[in-house]
Amino acid sequence: MEQYYGYFLYLLSLLTMGGIYAVLTLGLNVQWGFTGLFNAGIAGFFAVGAYVQAILTTPIYARHLGGYEWPIPLAMLAAMALSAVVGYGVAKICIRLRADYLAIATIGIAEIIRLVFKNEGWATNGPRGISQIPKAFEDLPQPWNTLAFVAMVLAIVMVIYLALERARTAPWGRVMTAIRENEAAAAAAGKNVERFRLESFVIGSALMGLGGALMAQYLKQIDPQVSDPLTATFLVFVMLIAGGSANNKGAILGAMLMWTVWSATEILTSRLPDEFAIRSAYVRIFLIGLILQFILQRRPQGILPERRPKPHPRLRGDRAPAANTGSTKQ
Amino acid sequence: MKHLITAAALAALAATPAMAGEIRVGSVAGVTGPIAELVAPIVAGRNLAAAHINANGGLLDGDTLVLVLADSQCDPKAGVDAGNKVVNVEQVVAIVGASCSGATNGMVQSVTIPAGIPSVSDSATAPSITDLDDNNLVFRTAPSDAYQGAALAKLAWEAGYRKLAVTYANDDYNAGIAEVFVANFEGLGGKVTANQVHEPNKASYRAEITTLSGGGAEALALFAYYGGSGITIIRNALETGAFGKFMAADGMFDVSVIEQIGAENLRGNLMITQSASDPSNTSYQLFAEAYKSTGMDPGAPYAAHGYDATFLIALAIEQAGAADPALIAAALPEVANAPGEIIRPGEWEKAKALIAAGKAVNYEGASGSVDFDAAGDVPGFYSVNTINAEGKFEMRFLR
Amino acid sequence: MMAFLNFYLIPGVVLGCIYALGAIGISLTFGILRFSNFAHGDTMTLGVYITLSLVQFSGLHPLLVAPLAMVLTTGIVLGLDRTFYKPFRTSPAIMLVIASFGLMLMIRSVIQFFWGVQLQALQTGIQMPLEALLPVRFSENHLLIIGATVLLMMAVHLVLTRTKIGKAMRATSDNPELAALTGIDTEVVIRATWAMGASLAVAAGVFLGLDTHVETMMGFKLLLPMFAAAILGGIGKPYGAVAGGLVIGIAEELSAYPWIGTTPLLSPGYKGGVAFAIMVAMLIWKPQGLFRGRQF
Repeated sequence: MEQYYGYFLYLLSLLTMGGIYAVLTLGLNVQWGFTGLFNAGIAGFFAVGAYVQAILTTPIYARHLGGYEWPIPLAMLAAMALSAVVGYGVAKICIRLRADYLAIATIGIAEIIRLVFKNEGWATNGPRGISQIPKAFEDLPQPWNTLAFVAMVLAIVMVIYLALERARTAPWGRVMTAIRENEAAAAAAGKNVERFRLESFVIGSALMGLGGALMAQYLKQIDPQVSDPLTATFLVFVMLIAGGSANNKGAILGAMLMWTVWSATEILTSRLPDEFAIRSAYVRIFLIGLILQFILQRRPQGILPERRPKPHPRLRGDRAPAANTGSTKQ
Repeated sequence: MKHLITAAALAALAATPAMAGEIRVGSVAGVTGPIAELVAPIVAGRNLAAAHINANGGLLDGDTLVLVLADSQCDPKAGVDAGNKVVNVEQVVAIVGASCSGATNGMVQSVTIPAGIPSVSDSATAPSITDLDDNNLVFRTAPSDAYQGAALAKLAWEAGYRKLAVTYANDDYNAGIAEVFVANFEGLGGKVTANQVHEPNKASYRAEITTLSGGGAEALALFAYYGGSGITIIRNALETGAFGKFMAADGMFDVSVIEQIGAENLRGNLMITQSASDPSNTSYQLFAEAYKSTGMDPGAPYAAHGYDATFLIALAIEQAGAADPALIAAALPEVANAPGEIIRPGEWEKAKALIAAGKAVNYEGASGSVDFDAAGDVPGFYSVNTINAEGKFEMRFLR
Repeated sequence: MMAFLNFYLIPGVVLGCIYALGAIGISLTFGILRFSNFAHGDTMTLGVYITLSLVQFSGLHPLLVAPLAMVLTTGIVLGLDRTFYKPFRTSPAIMLVIASFGLMLMIRSVIQFFWGVQLQALQTGIQMPLEALLPVRFSENHLLIIGATVLLMMAVHLVLTRTKIGKAMRATSDNPELAALTGIDTEVVIRATWAMGASLAVAAGVFLGLDTHVETMMGFKLLLPMFAAAILGGIGKPYGAVAGGLVIGIAEELSAYPWIGTTPLLSPGYKGGVAFAIMVAMLIWKPQGLFRGRQF
């Protein structure tokens, strides 16, 4: 019995991490999936959110800025706000870059942000990071605290999902898709393309900041390693593409599924015979790469491909809905 | 795809339940990630301890000690995930690890303390771990950095250095030691001519070194991992002629430093402190002899600590008389500290017999006497390593 | 002044040569296959480990066995292209980027599995500057690296300008649709691109291995600076990549020069940011790069 209780707790941890990653993939979906903005600096916005949360809520500690002891929800809002501000700044200078160029610029900016958190030790305790970050509901007894935290994460994912679904089917979302598919046509139709792209980038960045704020609480420890580009940027892209770009359900599914693959492969590889003991960890990374290739080749549209909102009734019959190819994206 | 995952999940679940006659202990280490090369010998130390125990009667009624490896990658995210896996899926009764301070901090705060599982880290050295509110569940056999920086500063002063340049890699481990070193060296009356952080993993440090050498320092105090930036810095410094003499902490202790740079270039010019027991100590010699079977260097940083952490957990299980986390946590200080009959590495049969007879034991480890204080920390014991005529490291215990 | 040349400029040039060779491959794949190849750094690492094994097997100088390692690595890369990239020739670039990301993880884990993670050396000992050239301090390795880089660049130049395949590569990079219309076999061009990119990456990796040491993350650590070099030079422009690599290598070393007073201008903790700052600034103010590469 106790054994199954353990599995249940592990399942909750998968849901928590999957949920936090889902917040990130949903944020990325706004930018990449809807609008086609190739933001490869997720880790940067994530780090801003995580550090804001950590600094605003931790008790006073001599080695980093802190002692403000804000209530957790308020700090989460602040984390979102500051990520949005940073996102606005980045978007202001980079938004006219297309596709891969935007990707590379944002990778560079994210690395610079990480270096700032690493080097400005007076505020962040440098590479040693911030510990003892308060976590929502942690005063409840086990397992209620875990359950409550999972519930909070999943509720946040749900709220974001509903809001984004609404935005997607609303005129705003249609303009985004139009910009992604054919920017010149959207501009010709009188849409202020740059402004829409900027909005999309800022909203996505705010969500990434929220993801960081949740991660800081869950781990209770934040250091520059947490925003390492491998697990904080590329993994998020992998999740979104595997789940189904431009599909909000796909984004959530991709996060949950890929995190499970990322985490649970180790349960398999740690069972390899002794002579592989240490090497099993490398086998695991290899397996992750292989599963990714498998998904890519078998389901190139993602597990849940994009579904366009139905044309407005007034337009139906005027023209056929655009073919769902996704291949016009760069 | 779904079938594959379902199948994998089923296989995992089917394989999981602890088999009869098996006691599981988590072995959480940064096997991949930035210090993979340092972690391999530590894990070998842990596995050696488990092998000793299992070959000499095993735990309790002949149960096998199974170390379940999980990768903490030196990243708190991975540390928490690894902790979750070993605690909830593998249902271990205790954990050896995790490897880096950040990953350890995340794992213990988010997983093991709430779950009531004791953990003994063999290589997390951050002082912040001492400050945790841990319900007496978090122990470590690795001393807090506060000790090593001080030991190295004293060593430098006694070696006659008065003016030193300092450079440290910007990571959680080296930044901490450097800070303590500078404070202590200046406290002794020494002068630090330049104190500069550097970003690890760059291909060249010639510019940084030249800038550091500007203040007329007698030697360079270098705090870095050998693979990240340490070897490159020594090589660049010797090639540019900026520095000829070096002092370093245990992140630099590896035979590859000699292999790569050449003993003739380092003899008399390099001192590396290392957290270790007295090499003339019986405990260390027993460990070193046994460790040779792994094909690695017994002096490798924290390999002895890995052995000790694992052995201590086994002793605590034996002392507790049951594979129960709370009892193990309570038993850990009992088996590590005086009073009791002294147990050394490898002496599992003796310890088992003593505990069965109701006698107290006191483990004297390969890495030192491993006596836990109230915070679960151990005092630091350090040795200094220099290069001898045969081009090998020669260890001298610092008193 | 001599110190500036010896300790800042020459190391910067050596580092720049390594970045440049690596960046050519990135720039070419970007120009011809149209995606940012995240596996490029690990291809480099693979080539270095193959060289290492050849050196241990034969006892020859690394530079002598490097050509064989280039051939072997090229063969492996062509196999990988067939299995993992070919299915996505007509797909959006993001698919290739993600595929290369997966491949990066796979190549690295294979290296770690077979060769282990311990540090290794292509050559041991240190190299003092050559007596003959003092007071300019050049070590033998540095002369070899710079010389070999110049030779490789000349070879690349000849291939691109004098051979049929090289001209086809440039044409495809400039305008793929037009190139296909004129009857250029795209698959042949792609294979040539992989061969050239992989060979130069192996060369860069071996030079880095000679200058420092060999470890499993060495290529990955170079990946972002190499991207920066490729962008700086202009995408699809091999000569631009060379210039970009040199600029970034030199800028990284010069950032630690005490321009004002006796402390470095920029804390060396930010050294890794120099390449990115240059790259971001370039993207914002001159997105086509120094050599007028393609602008998306």
